[in-house]
Amino acid sequence: MLLRYLFILLIIIPIKALALIEVDITRGNLNPLPVAVSPLSIDNKSKENFKKILKKEDLGSEISIIVENNLRQSGLFNPLNKNAFLQEPDVANLKPRFEDWNLIKAQALITGKVTLVDEKLRVEFRLWDILAGKEMMALAFTTVPSNWRRVGHIITDKVYERLTGEKGYFDTRIIYVSEEGPKTKRIKKLAIMDQDGFNNKYLTLGNELVLTPRFSPANQMVTYLSYFRNLPRVYLLDIETGMQEVVGDFPGMTFAPRFSPDGKKIIMSFAKDGNSDIYTMDLENRIVERITNHPSIDTSPSFSPNGKRITFNSDRSGYQQIYVMDSNGKNVKRISFGNGLYGTPVWSPRGDLIAFTKLHKGKFYIGVMRTDGTGERLLTENFYQEAPSWSPNGRVLIFYRETKTNSKGEGFSAKLWSIDLTGYNEKMVETETDASDPSWSSLLSN
Amino acid sequence: MNLSKILKNGFLIVLASLVLTACATKKTSTTGQMQGDVYTGTDSVEYLASGVPDRVFFATNETVLTTASRETLRKQAAWLRKNSDINVVLEGHADERGTREYNLALGERRANSAKDYLMTYGISSDRISVLSYGKERPVDSGSSPLAWSKNRRSVTVKAN
Amino acid sequence: MNRNIFISFGLHIFLVIITAMSLPFLAKKPIDLPPIISVELIQITDKTNIPFAPKAKKIIEKVKEKEKKLVSEQAPPKKIKKQKPDAIPLPDEKIEKIKKIKDEKQNPEKVETEIKQVSEFEKKELFDTNNIAALIDKSKTESAETKKKLDKVTQDQDKEMNFGGLTLSEEDALKAQIFGCWSIPLGLPFNQDLLVRIKLQLKPDGSIIKTEILDHARMNRPGQGFYKVLAESALRAIKLCQPLRVPSTGYERWKDMQLNFDAREMLEG
Repeated sequence: MLLRYLFILLIIIPIKALALIEVDITRGNLNPLPVAVSPLSIDNKSKENFKKILKKEDLGSEISIIVENNLRQSGLFNPLNKNAFLQEPDVANLKPRFEDWNLIKAQALITGKVTLVDEKLRVEFRLWDILAGKEMMALAFTTVPSNWRRVGHIITDKVYERLTGEKGYFDTRIIYVSEEGPKTKRIKKLAIMDQDGFNNKYLTLGNELVLTPRFSPANQMVTYLSYFRNLPRVYLLDIETGMQEVVGDFPGMTFAPRFSPDGKKIIMSFAKDGNSDIYTMDLENRIVERITNHPSIDTSPSFSPNGKRITFNSDRSGYQQIYVMDSNGKNVKRISFGNGLYGTPVWSPRGDLIAFTKLHKGKFYIGVMRTDGTGERLLTENFYQEAPSWSPNGRVLIFYRETKTNSKGEGFSAKLWSIDLTGYNEKMVETETDASDPSWSSLLSN
Repeated sequence: MNLSKILKNGFLIVLASLVLTACATKKTSTTGQMQGDVYTGTDSVEYLASGVPDRVFFATNETVLTTASRETLRKQAAWLRKNSDINVVLEGHADERGTREYNLALGERRANSAKDYLMTYGISSDRISVLSYGKERPVDSGSSPLAWSKNRRSVTVKAN
Repeated sequence: MNRNIFISFGLHIFLVIITAMSLPFLAKKPIDLPPIISVELIQITDKTNIPFAPKAKKIIEKVKEKEKKLVSEQAPPKKIKKQKPDAIPLPDEKIEKIKKIKDEKQNPEKVETEIKQVSEFEKKELFDTNNIAALIDKSKTESAETKKKLDKVTQDQDKEMNFGGLTLSEEDALKAQIFGCWSIPLGLPFNQDLLVRIKLQLKPDGSIIKTEILDHARMNRPGQGFYKVLAESALRAIKLCQPLRVPSTGYERWKDMQLNFDAREMLEG
């Protein structure tokens, strides 16, 4: 008996000379966190009023469904089945019985309350840590009733940030090109929708070809390419007023427009006599500046989030590759060196990565690389896909895919897809029609 | 080795090689539709006038004119000289196997190659304008190298 | 054009003749097989006397830690299902395999045997066999109770095993348990310092008296917001895993313990 004790000591002591045992936990699971989203409690009077105003039976439940879907779609959370919930929403919001929620394996709980106060929608919600048995977060805000969907998105953003450490991306919109018709004569319209597919709206009628829209960081302006009167030019569109205007007075095709991070400039390509170069135009004083001056094709420019550098696509080395330069056009450096063609570089809002499209041996890839070109990672492969756009927190990429057609030229479709930066959670983004050229807005609530 | 053995071997080898040849893939060059990567057929071609094809074709990612293209453009130039009141738009296109924005630039460059060549034959640049459609207006919606080759084109269109 | 065809034809015939003359044909020559040597697959064991299959799971964790490849255990009473050591299955496929096996079996112990075989031929996987614990956790209350029972069984074995001298597995037993409980927040930046150290005070049965996050000040430092999230996830893991799988003896030795949670390995992958 004593001998065994000695044996134990002999093993333990050489390993840990100190009295305190330290155990290294270097692995865990990457499963979605089980959370319970309780329907927001709502008093009968408010319920009736909201039913009248918004035509929704139970607004508290509707808002919680938005939160639930958002969390599930992110791939990081597993919202549990409401039928298993033991506590009523109004009781849970005051003080949840943690054992009840623990029983269904929830690790976090969201509760809240919705009321109509002075014709405004008032929401308060709480986030609870079930295992620690305490409240993690409590917030309240007021808005107009018609914004009720945004309430669900804002709650999700707050919860997401609190539980992952990352800013959310749910209170955002996506602008894209809606497509219909035969491949040889596609009808294209600008469309905008909430990030979860609701509130879809068309911004143009489909009379002229429209391509590659982009949001302004200020969020109510959009820039895109239009073939109005058969003259392909970059335009500005005010979403709220519907006003459109051409950008600058260029004697040739302008295309591939983006906004600068401060929203004050448009950067784009201008094609003349077979050469495409990158230009900027200041939206206030209308001054045009030439950024690249090279006989190659320079296009698809994208600013770094601090506005000091630009990444772009150029074939100056003979084939499409990715370059970075200072925002004044100096210090041009190539950063893509793998096998294949590279295009559509987009700088992450976090500033750390550049996403791109790659074509190699007949296959298209969406990938990311560091801003110096190292660490190239391909996230997904397909017959045809391109044009990734970042979510505002730099975690999710949205892009589009097209399908092959059969020998008769039938079966064509284009759809939006999204994928997490880690390569997980690849899924299609539902749209009413076929869709392409997606672009993600920044957070609306900023 | 005796003769019968040689003959037997020979027979089997011929049989084996015949099997191989039977499985050979159809080469497009045999039907004369493509040369290398460039479409040489007449499927989608229209005519500005008798004997004047309206378009020229390009290899993947290329904007240089082939010999056949130059021949076509010479015919176009001759016709334009004869009809000096006609102006044209050169519409440049690309296939779908590339990124959208780059393809817009590629289409523009292809149309410009054609324009420059027409100008060397005395056609004034006032009469020629250039318009790129990138990959937006394919003439063949198929997903095959042949379909793609038909889409890599610069088309001369009457403007008035 | 015709001349070329004739030349090509002639050369082809020439080739056929050459080949025909020198082709070593499929004659009735007897095939020389090397003599058949019978080889016994010897099971190399690290430890002897492992009476219960569930323990094997823990040993496998330890063995995997040490990155040994072909070490398998004797699990005397159970039938071992042979699995081919072909290409390393992708994490997704593996989960499906394991899920299927789990669905078929009723007896939790049996499940662990199957897992053992699968893990034999893998070096490193993103989704650990520890995930089984998490998968089992996800189902309803009944299976939660079953798990409790299972744990109790192994606790008993723990006592027995200590007499057998398996002290190194104590640390690995605890690690394995916490691996299964720690849900690593995917949102953490994978290029930062992701280490959080938590000091614990434990009761003899493995339940927690007190937790203390070392470097607490970092939780509220600007730009280190993720540290708070990381620390909270570690605390949740500890709470979820109560009672911790602690040794049944030597309470004085382990009543104060420090767990170093480092998410880097999992996220960098």
